Amino acid sequence: MTRPGSPTLEPDLAKLIVQTLKLKIDPVSIQPEAPLFGEGLGLDSIDALELSLAISQTYGYQLKSSDPEIKTIFSSLRALANAVEKHRTK
Amino acid sequence: MHDTPLIGPYNSDDAVAWQRGQTRTARQFLADVTALAESLPDRPTVLNLADNRYAFLVGFAAAILRGQLTLLPQRRAPEALRRLAGDYPGSYVLTDHDDRIEGLDAVPIVSTGGAAPWPKSIPLVPLNQVVAIAFTSGSTGHPVPNKKTWGALTGVARATGARLGIKGGDRIGVVATVPHQHMFGLEASVMLPLMHGVAMYAGRPLFPADIGNVLADIAGRWMLITTPLHLRACVAERMHVPAGGLILSATAPLGRTLAQEAERVFQSEVHEIFGFAEAGSVAERRTVDGDRWTPLEGVCVVQDRDSCTVRAWYLPEPVPVPDRVTVESGGAFFLYGREAEQVNVAGHRVSLGDLNQTLLRIDGVQDGIFFLPDEDAGLVTRLMAFVVAPGKTSEEIQRALRAHLDPVFLPRPLVCVPSLPRNATGKLPREAVQELARQWVGEDGHGV
Repeated sequence: MTRPGSPTLEPDLAKLIVQTLKLKIDPVSIQPEAPLFGEGLGLDSIDALELSLAISQTYGYQLKSSDPEIKTIFSSLRALANAVEKHRTK
Repeated sequence: MHDTPLIGPYNSDDAVAWQRGQTRTARQFLADVTALAESLPDRPTVLNLADNRYAFLVGFAAAILRGQLTLLPQRRAPEALRRLAGDYPGSYVLTDHDDRIEGLDAVPIVSTGGAAPWPKSIPLVPLNQVVAIAFTSGSTGHPVPNKKTWGALTGVARATGARLGIKGGDRIGVVATVPHQHMFGLEASVMLPLMHGVAMYAGRPLFPADIGNVLADIAGRWMLITTPLHLRACVAERMHVPAGGLILSATAPLGRTLAQEAERVFQSEVHEIFGFAEAGSVAERRTVDGDRWTPLEGVCVVQDRDSCTVRAWYLPEPVPVPDRVTVESGGAFFLYGREAEQVNVAGHRVSLGDLNQTLLRIDGVQDGIFFLPDEDAGLVTRLMAFVVAPGKTSEEIQRALRAHLDPVFLPRPLVCVPSLPRNATGKLPREAVQELARQWVGEDGHGV
């Protein structure tokens, strides 16, 4: 959890991604602007499902693929962190 | 062999498919199929890569009317598709999106938008016409083709519907999280609604919130075609949907605890299908009622001295069951995991599938898998287990397992994890479990 005033959720979210998806990488090595899916980290739709659950349980934000910005939200760590910051309920 | 109609008992203005407030009626569907069939190139085989379930169905039906075989590839990677097309010279691609596979001709699937008059007669298809080829992994690494006749696809669809109490023309909306190019997806999410004259959702919801929204918007009863993986996500989100729907799960064994939780969260019955690509759907059970599988109407599971086969009027010859089975006198049967999953632990033979089934029956276990690491020189290799059981400790699960297993088969260690790395069809590739084991041993294995 970030403290109030912390500039960004990115480090926490990077850790959550690595833990949830059991990636064998250092969370710090995830480039904030690099794509998470396809190239980049090469995640797929099942990873998206796993990740959505973890985000919902940790931050109380339920992702929907009907969100118009869903493609943007998952486009990078930074975009995801911004969306979670905006919609989080815990 | 006689011919049967391309579609079930739809009235001309009944919905065949819907998405985002738009529907395609049976009349429009037949117009779309006829128009596409007329414009298809004269080729023997087609790779139907449509993402949209309705577009896939239009392409599939048009290919059938033109006597063309639809190939159902296991994998979507361009190289795999090119290899498959190479095995079937003259293949082309039907698609509803812009991605092109280099080296393969592509034909777009388009809706005419209009509606032709309802035809005097529905097109007929011979029951023995081969309409699709599903591929399975062979021991050689080359995909093994399994021919599917119109009779097999429609037979399974009708038998599944009959078992679940679905009648022609019922007001049901069928929603699926599984891909339609997969055998179970084709049978349950495309052929089942088509043969019963009910509507299918053209999209493929992924997140629990998407599934919930689609189900909540259905005017009649809903039916969800899915996998244990998606059910687990929905249960974790405690989603709310209209009660009294119907859930059909397949592709991986569903634990009884998860089935109970899903029945409670969805306030609906959860049924499970046992099948495999070579035979299609074989049997059904309501998971909370027990481990016994009842074959679908017209399907027989026969135990010979040392093998077990599936027989059905639409299968040209008996198909061997890849799992260990015991058949009761009435024809119902029990599964004990795949034959090929036999492993040897310190000289004792056991089926990993059998162990996995035991694990899944333990109270509180949502998902789990046993794994035998590659042998270390000079040491007895012990089984490991990875278990998803929120609120339970690994000691509690070990204690419960001890009641069912010889000590030699108890996992060392039993690792509680938040989830298992299942793939898009809910299966758990050995490589993925291997990777999980490697990570676990690498990171935390020293303290055991």
